Amino acid sequence: MLSTTLGPLSLHNPVLSASGTFGSGWEGRQFSDLGRVGGLVSKTVTCKPRPGNPPPRIVETPSGMLNSIGLENKGVDYFVAETLPRMRQIAADGRAAHGAAPRLVINIGGESIDEFVQLAARFSAEGVDALEVNLSCPNVQEGKLLFSTDPRLTEAAVRAVKKVATVPVFAKLSPNVTDVVSIAKAAEQGGADGVTAINTLIGMKIDWRKGRPVIARGIGGLSGPAIRPVAVRMVYEIARAVRIPILAAGGARSAEDVLEFVCAGASAVEIGTAMFTDPALMVTIVDDLTRLLTAHRTSIAALRGTAQAGQDARAAAPACKPAEATR
Amino acid sequence: MRQLRDLGGGSFALEVEGPIPATLPGQFFMLRTERRWPVQLPRPFSLYDCADDGSWGSFLLKVVGEGTRALCDLRPGEGVVLNGPLGQPFPADVDDPVCIAGGVGLAPFLLLARQRARAGERTRLLFGGRNRAALAGIDDFEGVAEVFASTDDGSHGHHGLVTSLLDDLLARSVVKPGETVFCCGPDPMMHAVAKVCEQRGLRCFLSLETYMACGYGVCNGCTVEVQGPRFKGWPYSRTCMEGPVYETCELTELQRH
Repeated sequence: MLSTTLGPLSLHNPVLSASGTFGSGWEGRQFSDLGRVGGLVSKTVTCKPRPGNPPPRIVETPSGMLNSIGLENKGVDYFVAETLPRMRQIAADGRAAHGAAPRLVINIGGESIDEFVQLAARFSAEGVDALEVNLSCPNVQEGKLLFSTDPRLTEAAVRAVKKVATVPVFAKLSPNVTDVVSIAKAAEQGGADGVTAINTLIGMKIDWRKGRPVIARGIGGLSGPAIRPVAVRMVYEIARAVRIPILAAGGARSAEDVLEFVCAGASAVEIGTAMFTDPALMVTIVDDLTRLLTAHRTSIAALRGTAQAGQDARAAAPACKPAEATR
Repeated sequence: MRQLRDLGGGSFALEVEGPIPATLPGQFFMLRTERRWPVQLPRPFSLYDCADDGSWGSFLLKVVGEGTRALCDLRPGEGVVLNGPLGQPFPADVDDPVCIAGGVGLAPFLLLARQRARAGERTRLLFGGRNRAALAGIDDFEGVAEVFASTDDGSHGHHGLVTSLLDDLLARSVVKPGETVFCCGPDPMMHAVAKVCEQRGLRCFLSLETYMACGYGVCNGCTVEVQGPRFKGWPYSRTCMEGPVYETCELTELQRH
């Protein structure tokens, strides 16, 4: 009922953590039984350590928040030595307790295609369950073009990663583009096993009394329920255009929200900003999903993309009765 | 929630039913209302007071926005969601700390004074505010700590800033160079206290307030710039994990001034 697949990757349920909102899972393991979630997506790992951006880095906004963390992380060597074993421990505990484990998805960030390739090779060798390629962090641009704002760069990066990766590869897309569908298609063309949609929307909050933005770096990434309709629309549009599965992200905080994304065409859903409010939320959502799907005698697989069919039927039907139309 | 106690000056003690887990002075909890929480993120508060058996606890808060407003609008019997204790406390190996508070920065010191009083130890508290009304919570320290108050307008205690009160107590040898200060309050006040401590040869620990999203170490949003061996060369520290208490020599921003 809850099981789902992301291309070659099977998950025992469709609920994952979104990158950068739940660390590696280790920090949050005391609050709920993480063996019961579908997957854990790591905070972005980069080749070299990145101290991140100066504070203040976050501020709450209507129905959401802005962040500009700047991919603070201690680099891939530290991650493989210290963090990955902890994620494996969570998965092993899950297997021991439930016979099923959360999938371990490593989110990788590179400043060049070469860095993406290095990271993909390294984590493939480590035998993680999947890679999520962060082509779209808005907070590390440093004057350079983001991969996921250009279809050719997206395709090239994904193709290069796929060449070395021995595990499924998901391309995480930016919503800060004119046409997200063309980027998703480019990722598919490059050989991606799926896409994650969406990363944060860029935004700003200004303290007029101080006459400057609240976040030190000025611009930040908007997340939370405020962006959910945008994410749903993008998932819906991407689902119409590509054959590869979609991992949705963008303001989901309940089982109802998860099912909305599934209806739009997602195969699984990442929970992000809401994890800050309630560190046990993923497990609550899994329980609520079980209840809802049981009550409605349906499943994730059956619901996936149903909004597409409904909309097609509506579009195909005449807008009004022929008799009225000719009047 | 069992009671909201009005302390005056716009400050309240939000009392909640336990069990409250064992908490050390300086540790905090993330709070939100169970229903009708009007914002996204929970808000961090030091544990203000607590029953010996943890059967109830309280948090000192002042209405500054929608979140604190929602907490203060709670009625007895309504639910509060707590996550904690979180963060690192004030160092436990300081024999006789000099506590300095401003505004709701008073919060961590009642628990500290109570735990010390139980062990038969005294606590000195310097508490500064604009006027008498701004010294909300001062009465709760009666019989628990030696309180030295200051007001900007002279309406209660020492006339002047809390830093001039500290100077005064140093002159009278109530506080001596070489002692250790624990300070919590608005940033400008903490910076001023840190400066006096540096000039007069006192060690000083600050309990910082930062924007926080998660409180449990995953968002990396609450970082401050730091230096020193505790951080192994990393320039930022999460106030929710390694903080909120830092020694002034660890805070890069203070060292620049």
